Amino acid sequence: MGPHDCSRCAGCPVHPLAQEADAGVNRDNVDFVVALAGNPNTGKSTVFNALTGLRQHTGNWPGKTVTRAEGSYEYEGSRYKLVDLPGTYSLMAATTDEEVARNFILFGRPDVTLIVVDASRLERNLNLVLQVLGITDRAVLCLNLIDEARRHGLEIDVARLAEELGIPVVATSARFGRGIDELVRVVHEVATGRVVCRPRQIETRSPVLAGALGKLQPRLEAAFPALPNARWVALRLLDGDRRVSDAIGSGELENLYQEGQADTAERPPDGDGKPTTPGREVVELASALRWDVGPNFHQSVVEAIYTEAVRIADPCVRRTGVRRRFDWDRALDWLFTSRWTGVPIMILMLAVVLWITVAGANYPSQALSDLLVKTIHPELKQGAAAIGLPWWLRGVLVDGMYLATAWVVAVMLPPMAIFFPLFTLLEDFGYLPRVAFNLDSTFRRAGAHGKQALTMCMGFGCNAAGVVATRVIDSPRERLIAILTNNFSLCNGRWPTQILIATIFIGALVPPYLAGLVSVMAVVGVALLGVMFAFVVSWALSRTLLRGEASTFSLELPPYRPPRILQTLYTSLVDRTIFVLWRAVLFALPAGAAIWLVANVQVGGESLAAHFVRLTDPAAVFIGLNGVILLAYVVAIPANEIVIPTVLMLTIATAGTVAGGAGTGVMFETTESSTAAILQAGGWTLLTGVNLMLFSLLHNPCSTTIYTIYKETGSTRWAAVATLLPLGIGVVVCLAVAQIWYLFV
Amino acid sequence: MGGSLSDFVTIAAVVGVAVAAIWLVRRVLRRLAHGRQSVRRVLVEDALKHLRHCESTGKPASLEGLSGVLQISRNEAVEVVRRLESLGLVQSADGGLRLTDVGRRDALRIVRVHRLLERYLADRTGVDEVRWHEEADRREHLLSSEQIDRLAAEMGDPRFDPHGSPIPTASGDVGPAPGQSLVELPPGTHAVVVAVEDEPEVVYAQLVAEGLTVGTPLRVLDTGPKRIRVEALGEEHVLAPLLAANVFVRRLAAAPPGPDTWEYLSELAIGRSAKVVDISPVCRGPQRRRLLDLGLVPGTVVRAELASPGGDPTGYLVRGAVIALRRSQARLIRVEPVEKGAA
Repeated sequence: MGPHDCSRCAGCPVHPLAQEADAGVNRDNVDFVVALAGNPNTGKSTVFNALTGLRQHTGNWPGKTVTRAEGSYEYEGSRYKLVDLPGTYSLMAATTDEEVARNFILFGRPDVTLIVVDASRLERNLNLVLQVLGITDRAVLCLNLIDEARRHGLEIDVARLAEELGIPVVATSARFGRGIDELVRVVHEVATGRVVCRPRQIETRSPVLAGALGKLQPRLEAAFPALPNARWVALRLLDGDRRVSDAIGSGELENLYQEGQADTAERPPDGDGKPTTPGREVVELASALRWDVGPNFHQSVVEAIYTEAVRIADPCVRRTGVRRRFDWDRALDWLFTSRWTGVPIMILMLAVVLWITVAGANYPSQALSDLLVKTIHPELKQGAAAIGLPWWLRGVLVDGMYLATAWVVAVMLPPMAIFFPLFTLLEDFGYLPRVAFNLDSTFRRAGAHGKQALTMCMGFGCNAAGVVATRVIDSPRERLIAILTNNFSLCNGRWPTQILIATIFIGALVPPYLAGLVSVMAVVGVALLGVMFAFVVSWALSRTLLRGEASTFSLELPPYRPPRILQTLYTSLVDRTIFVLWRAVLFALPAGAAIWLVANVQVGGESLAAHFVRLTDPAAVFIGLNGVILLAYVVAIPANEIVIPTVLMLTIATAGTVAGGAGTGVMFETTESSTAAILQAGGWTLLTGVNLMLFSLLHNPCSTTIYTIYKETGSTRWAAVATLLPLGIGVVVCLAVAQIWYLFV
Repeated sequence: MGGSLSDFVTIAAVVGVAVAAIWLVRRVLRRLAHGRQSVRRVLVEDALKHLRHCESTGKPASLEGLSGVLQISRNEAVEVVRRLESLGLVQSADGGLRLTDVGRRDALRIVRVHRLLERYLADRTGVDEVRWHEEADRREHLLSSEQIDRLAAEMGDPRFDPHGSPIPTASGDVGPAPGQSLVELPPGTHAVVVAVEDEPEVVYAQLVAEGLTVGTPLRVLDTGPKRIRVEALGEEHVLAPLLAANVFVRRLAAAPPGPDTWEYLSELAIGRSAKVVDISPVCRGPQRRRLLDLGLVPGTVVRAELASPGGDPTGYLVRGAVIALRRSQARLIRVEPVEKGAA
C-alpha cells in the first residue's frame, strides 16, 4: 500500500471530516469549535448567550427532534463557533439527548468542550464532567452560579478543584457577566494548545470492573496507540455500546485520531467501513469479557464515578456556615406546593396569564387587522387591477391568499407574542416544575405525566407549540399521550370564535347586564370541558392504544431564580412565536387560495361552495351544525382563526343576501350585531351556536399542529390518530347534543 | 330539520352493526392469514427451542416430549421432525432427537430473539412480569432480523434476560451457565439469586409471588426433602423443592453489606434522612439508569424534603438537588435511616 492519498479523503465515509459532518459540525469560516455541555438547570444557556450575544440561531440536530443552538464569537482574531449540546445527566447514550451530546463530543471532536456546572451541586454535576473527561482531554470547567453557592454558604476552592480534575476551572456568574472574560481567555488557551490538560480518570476499586478493564484496556492501547481515551472506550465496549463497538471494529474511531500521521501503511486506504482485524479482535475480547462482568456492570460504573466525584468534591467544597436568615426557596416551595395555597395559586396564575393575553392582544390585533385588512388589502386590489391582472388571478392572490394570511397573522401574532414570553418567564423562574409536581398525582391516575399540565397550558397559547413542548417529557408513552390530547386545550385561535358565538347566542339569553359575565363563563366552561376531555382521552389511550408502552418518571425541582427578561423575550419571540407563525403562514397561503376558489368558481350556475353546502346541509343539520360550518372547517383546516370570516362570507354567498358591505366571495368580519343578523338570516339557532362552540373545541387540530405532530413523532400513524380521534369525538358529541335537543325542543 | 327518536335509534343501530361487522371481518381475515402463513415456521422454531432447552438442561428429547410442549398431535409432531430433518437441523439418534450443528446455531438464534424480547418487555414496556414469556413467544416469530438487531442495539446488546438467563450473541456465543440450583445449597449459606427458570409458567408465577427475583440476596435456613426454608427480603419463605429447583443462585462468602432491616424510601417522613442501600432489581431499564444518573447509588444520603398536595410525588434532596419521585418508584429504593444532620 502506498502513501496516504489526501485527495480521496473527502469522499471517504470513515474520514474525520465526513464523521464531523455526520455529527453536525460545519467548520467553514471557523477557527475553533467549542461544545457546550452540562446538566440541565445549570445556567448553560445563560453562558451561551453571554458568549454569543445575539449571534446565534436555533434548529434541530440532523435527523432528530432535539433542539440545537449554535452561535459564534471572536477572540484575539480567532473565530469561534459555539455549539450548545442538550442538557444531559450522563453520556452513556441511554436517551436521544445523551446520544446526540456524546456523538458530538466523540465524533465531532470539538476543539474545546466547555462544561457548565452548578457550583451548589458539584458532586452530582461531576458525574457528567468525569464522563466528558473520559472522552476528551481538551476541556474547561465553567463553575457557574457561584453567587448562588455563596448565598447558601458554600465556598469552592477553585484552584484545588482544577488540580484534582486536571483541567482549568473558571468560576462565573453568567447572569451578571462575571467571569466571562476569563472564561473566554481560558478557552482560547486550551484551544490553541497553550494550556495542556491532564484530566483525571475514573479509578476502579470494584474487582469486577478492575479485572475486566485490566484485560481489555491494554489490548485496546496496543491495537490503537493513537487513541487518547482507551479507558473510556473499554468501559463503553464492556457496557455493550453498539455505536462505539462498530466504530472500533471498522477503524472509524481510530481514524479520527490518526490525522496528521503520514504513515498509514497498515490501514487500507479506502477504509470502506468493513471491520479491520485488530479492531475485530478487540471487539471479540470485549464480547467475551461481558459474560464475566455480569448484568450489573452499568451500575458498577456509575458507582465508581460517584465515588470519584465525592473524593474530588469533598476537599474542594467548604461550608462557611454563613446563610441568609430567610430561606426564599423553602418559603416559596411551601407557598406553591402546600395543600391550601398550592392549587389556588396555580389557578390564579393561569387565569392571570390568560387574561393578560386576551386583554393585551385585543388592541394590537385590532390595529394589525386595520392595517393589513382594511388599509393594505384595498390598496393591493387596486394595484393588482392597475397592472392588469385578470379578475380571477386578482381574486386568488389578493382576496384569497393575501387575505387569509393577513387574518392569520393579525389574529395569531399578538396573543402568541404575549403568551409565550409570560409562560417562558414562569418557566425561567422555576415555577412550572412545581405545577407538574402538584398535578402529577391527578395525571398519573389518567395514565399520564405531571409535565403534561405544562404542555396543556402551552396548548392554550398554541397547540403546535404545546406539541413541541412535550419534548420535556422523557417517557415515550406519556409523551405520546400528551401529544395526542394537546388539541383539547383551547388554543388562542379559537377564542375569538368562542367569545363571539357565546356573546351572540348565549349572552342573548340573559338580561344585558349579565350578558358579558355569562358569555365569559360559557367560554371558560368550554375550556374546562376541553381539559376534562384531555383527562378522559388520556386515560382511555393509556388503557387501549398505548397500553403496555414504557413509562418512566423523574422531575427535578430547580431552585427559584429571577427570570432573565430580555433573554426570555428574545428566545420566546424567535424560537416559539416566529417558528409557529412561519409554519402557519405557509399553510394559510394555499388555504386562502382554496377558499376563494371554492366561493367563486362556478359550476353549472352555482359556485362550488353552494354545491357543497347544499349537499352536506342535511347531514350537517343532523348533527346540529350546517353545511356552511362544515365547509368553513374543511377549508379553514390551516388555521382556526379564519373560521368566522369564512363562515360569514359563505353564509352571505350562499344565502344570497348582501350585507356588511363586502365583495362577493371575500372573507370579512363585521361588528357583533351585524354578524348576529347575518347568522340569523342564515338560519342559525341556539343549537347551531352551542354545537359550533363544541365542535370548535373538539374538531381536528389545525394543519400546523398536524404537521408538527408528524415531525415530532416521526410517524404518519400517530398524526392520523391525532387528527381523526378529536374529529370523531367532536362529531359524536355534536350528534348527541343535537339529537337530544331535537327530542326536547 | 332534525329527526325523531326512531330515526336516531335506526342510525345508531346501523352504525353499531357496521362497526361490529368490520371488526369481525378483520378478526377472521387475520386468523386466516396467521393460520395459513407460518404455522409451519412457528412450529419449526418452537421445536428447535425445545430441543435446545433439552440439550442445555441435559434432558433427552423425544417425539412425545415435543408433541406435549408444542401442544400438537403425535402425527403433527412427526411432520415437524421430518421437516427439521429435511432442513438438516435435526437427526434421530439412539431413539431420541438431536440437534445438528446447523440446527443448534438456528436454535440459538431463536433463543436469542426470545430472550431479547423478554428483556425489551421487562425494561421498556409496562407488560406484567408473568406475561413476558408468553408475549415474547408470540412476538418472536413476527420480527425480521434487522428489527431484532436494531432492538438489541437500542438496548445496549444486553447479555442477560430479565430471568437471568444468558442471551446468545449474534455469533452464537452463549457464555457460562448461571449459578447453581437452590436445592444444592447447605443450610446457613448466603447466596444471591442470579437466574429464575421461567418454565413451567405456573411454577414461575409462584416464584414471582414470593418475590424471589434476580438480584435478591437470601440465606438458606434449612433444607429437606419436603421443603426448603430461606430468609429473603427480611421475611421467611418456605418453598417446595420443585420451586426451589428452578431458582439459580451464586454463593456469597458472607452476608452482603447492609442493615438487617428492610425499609424503603417511600416510608421516609418529611425532614428525615436515610442512606440508600440499593435499588430493587424490579426497577429496570431507562428508569433505573435515570435514578443512578441522578446520584441514587448505594451509600448516598437522601432527605425527604417536599410533599405535594396529593401526597405523591415527594421531593427528595439528592446530592444537593431536589428530585421528585412517585411513591411507586420510592418503594423500590431500599434505605437505612441515618441521624439527622448527616446530610
